[in-house]
Amino acid sequence: MASSPKVLLVDDEREFLDIMSRYFTRRNIDFAVADGCLQALDQLDNGSFDVVVMDVSMPGLDGLECMEEIKKLYPAVEVIILTGHAAPHTSLVGMKKGAFDYCLKPIDFAELHEKIQLARKAIEERKG
Amino acid sequence: MRRIVSFLKSKLVRAPAPPPAVPPEGDLRAAFRKRYAHFRSLLTANNNTLQAMADLEQVFYSGQSYRMAVIRSKITTILVNVYKMIRDLIAMGDGKYQELIPVFERISSKLELIVDRKPEYQSGPMIVPLAECNSEQHHLVGDKMARLGMISRLEGISVPPGFVVSATATRHFLADHLDEINRRLQVLESDDLDGLYRTCAELREMITTAPLPGDLQELLQVHYSRLEKISQPGCRVALRSSALGEDSRGISFAGLYNTMLDADRSTLVSGYKEVIAGKYGARAIAYRRRRGYRHEDIEMCVGCMVMIDARVGGVIYTRDPANRDGDVLHVIVTSGLGKGVVDGTGDSELIRLQRRFPHVSTDNSATPSLGPSAAAASLVNEELLSRLAVAALKIEAAFGEPQDIEWALDHNDKLYILQSRPLQIDDDETGAASVEPAAAADPGEPPLIRGGVCVSRGVCCGEICRVESEQDLGTVAKGAIVVVSHPLPEWAPLLNQVAGIIAETGSEAGHLATVSREFGVPALFGVDGAMSLLTDGLQITLHADDCAVYRGRRDGLLVARPVAKDPMAGSPVQRLLTEAMQLVTPLNLTDPDAAQFKPSWCETIHDITRFCHEKSVTAMFSFGRTHHFDEGRAKRLVGEVPLEWWVVDLADGLRPGIDDDAKTLRIEDVVSVPMQAIWNGLIAYPWQGPPPVSARGFGSIIFQSTMRPEIDPSVASRLTVKNYFLVSKHFCHLSVRLGYHYALIEAYLSDLLTESYVTFRFKGGAADMGRKTLRVQLLAETLEHYGFRVELQADSLLARLKKRPADYLETRLQVLGYLILHSRQLDMIMDQVGSLERYRDKFFAEIDSMFAEAPLHALEEH
Repeated sequence: MASSPKVLLVDDEREFLDIMSRYFTRRNIDFAVADGCLQALDQLDNGSFDVVVMDVSMPGLDGLECMEEIKKLYPAVEVIILTGHAAPHTSLVGMKKGAFDYCLKPIDFAELHEKIQLARKAIEERKG
Repeated sequence: MRRIVSFLKSKLVRAPAPPPAVPPEGDLRAAFRKRYAHFRSLLTANNNTLQAMADLEQVFYSGQSYRMAVIRSKITTILVNVYKMIRDLIAMGDGKYQELIPVFERISSKLELIVDRKPEYQSGPMIVPLAECNSEQHHLVGDKMARLGMISRLEGISVPPGFVVSATATRHFLADHLDEINRRLQVLESDDLDGLYRTCAELREMITTAPLPGDLQELLQVHYSRLEKISQPGCRVALRSSALGEDSRGISFAGLYNTMLDADRSTLVSGYKEVIAGKYGARAIAYRRRRGYRHEDIEMCVGCMVMIDARVGGVIYTRDPANRDGDVLHVIVTSGLGKGVVDGTGDSELIRLQRRFPHVSTDNSATPSLGPSAAAASLVNEELLSRLAVAALKIEAAFGEPQDIEWALDHNDKLYILQSRPLQIDDDETGAASVEPAAAADPGEPPLIRGGVCVSRGVCCGEICRVESEQDLGTVAKGAIVVVSHPLPEWAPLLNQVAGIIAETGSEAGHLATVSREFGVPALFGVDGAMSLLTDGLQITLHADDCAVYRGRRDGLLVARPVAKDPMAGSPVQRLLTEAMQLVTPLNLTDPDAAQFKPSWCETIHDITRFCHEKSVTAMFSFGRTHHFDEGRAKRLVGEVPLEWWVVDLADGLRPGIDDDAKTLRIEDVVSVPMQAIWNGLIAYPWQGPPPVSARGFGSIIFQSTMRPEIDPSVASRLTVKNYFLVSKHFCHLSVRLGYHYALIEAYLSDLLTESYVTFRFKGGAADMGRKTLRVQLLAETLEHYGFRVELQADSLLARLKKRPADYLETRLQVLGYLILHSRQLDMIMDQVGSLERYRDKFFAEIDSMFAEAPLHALEEH
């Protein structure tokens, strides 16, 4: 795997996706965006991603259910969940359902970047 | 001799069992990497947990303000990371420790309930007549209106007729908006004043444009009509905030919210919405944050009272705020309603009256405005002042504590009480210590300004920042002393960050004065010309008690600075954190050797982390014992190397570029820090050969050899001929068989103290048990001398070091390297008189000399 993992950003807030996109572009991170769960699953069907960064408090299909679906269909993909309002319950449930890690909104970009790198390292170690 | 040994062996000893199947080295590496990855992950999670726990303790004990969002964030970090630790430990233990899961579930569920707990709201009618309000309806109509209802029933005291729109009505009104309001508030950064004002404006817009439910609107009109019947058609009403949840001692919540005066039927609804929106004003939000209240802890009710056509109004303090024991009450008088007094914009006069009947003016020459001036005397004569005092003291008696009362006299001199709340009083025991007069404490340059009214005691130093409008708020640096024309309540958010405040007008009765006292911010009001005398950037020392401003920093005065009060004391957020901390920080599992050191005894998050950490170290430690390896893939150390040593690279223990298929390597190729340290100890002094052995000692060896063939050097085994280092950059596991003893060293060196450890096991020998025991005693004494924690059982020794800096542990690995070489065959001579002492002294001398030749950090720690 390349040193920069391919990341899929999933959030229903267009403004948030724009901010994240600018951040990722500046750091030469290979990424794509999806504005909801269904679009995320489409993207995963059509492309090869290493890490999914997704807001689990999106409307529609429950974000945690969506994450479970992704882990079921693409077990090698690591998912970092974004939870709003510093919610311990959502973060913990997400971890139990297979998330690699979590970040609280508002996002600390440096922290998210570090966790994406850790996810990449974990994938590499798994592959040996 | 050899024939005798062979004979005895053939008679006494069965053939040894075949060695266990050895997996290929690739499998060993994979197994190590897997366990090592879990170990690393566990240690990182452990560190994150301990850091978050330390952060929680820091905010709890700091005496500073903290937000619920911080607590929720830290609790989330703790729970997620402890979950990771348990997951990693179970993976390292091949499924062991599953019983940690229900223990964690129990504790984490309790913590989630605590941090997600909402206040319990009481429901009731949407509108309650003011005359029916009492203390039992405190949770329905708010503290202010409940108190006013009680006052209305005191004999001889009047309050304006009115009604209260209750918290039930507010919930009904905002039902569709609360989630969005909370979302916007929770993403607000605490230091972002611009963002605060922007969000407040958005929330005000959202609330004031939201439609009022039809049933509530109808009820409002019905009750307004009733007021018209009591008062007069088209009567004007005042809409006053009355919040729920403001029930902590020492917290005023003064001047935070909106009051709408002169409303009528046409503006009743819009005025109601404005007062509701006042809960989300900048000063109210900043104040709640500072004092440890969540937004959901406070609910807003609205009192609707007939306006009093006031001839004169003002405020009464039933005690002197600066001297609770004095026999004085303060009456602040202004023409018209007392609004100008409390918002700091109006001219007012302070009259000090005796609390004792007949409540005459006091004559204390220390204060400039004492008896009524001519202007004040024209507004209130002695008879009126006496009536005011009698009413105020009756209210004080009814509530059992000093009161801060807002009052008005109509044109018939009928007295109305508009509001009463507990008076904020400086309390020497809580920090507002009295100070010596400035001249005595610091006889330097005379003050730049002397005058004004001390409204909040204390001394501070900072640079001047003049504030004229809300646009200036963003320019106020932390620690500045702010100068304003009028002490408006709007400046209250500044009190979170400024050292002091000076105003050209105002009195001790204003809302900003009240909040300044509450926050312990020195404040001097009524300083004529301050905005022109004090220029931006000028450093001054403000001595509020002495009504003096000095140029520059006056350390002699600053020593009298009072101890800051804890702004969070007694708040809902502090109560939640206190409760949560009980489940997080106490440590009950302190002794890993105790029978209680198991999951079922874990009562807190700290217990679980302690257990996981200890067991993870054990699991790593046992790796070398539970995993055999294919020595065919090991690389032999060559060069100037004593004895025979082999290295198995488990991760990043060798210099990059080393050929994977190479059969040999040199010590310079090894980058494993702990292995290098052990090696430095091994090569520090050459082994001087076996000690001279007595005939008795030699006989013992022969006998032991016959009983235990695995210790006979003539019997080839992988452990008797090879010594293995299993290494990574920061990890080393060394199995040693030198002669007849077996030793094992394992170390993990990290920048994090909690992760680092060194363990050493030693067992065996060729001599009898007595002499072997004496040898481990020699080792134990040496190791204890160098700081190890040592446990002995017969000829077995276990020595450990944990939570020490990596450079310190490197020196101790040197000690171990030295000892495994130089303790060879010493058991054979341990029956000689004085041998233990002789060798111990030799070890100490050589080790100390080794340290002296290659100085490393932290040697002095032994």
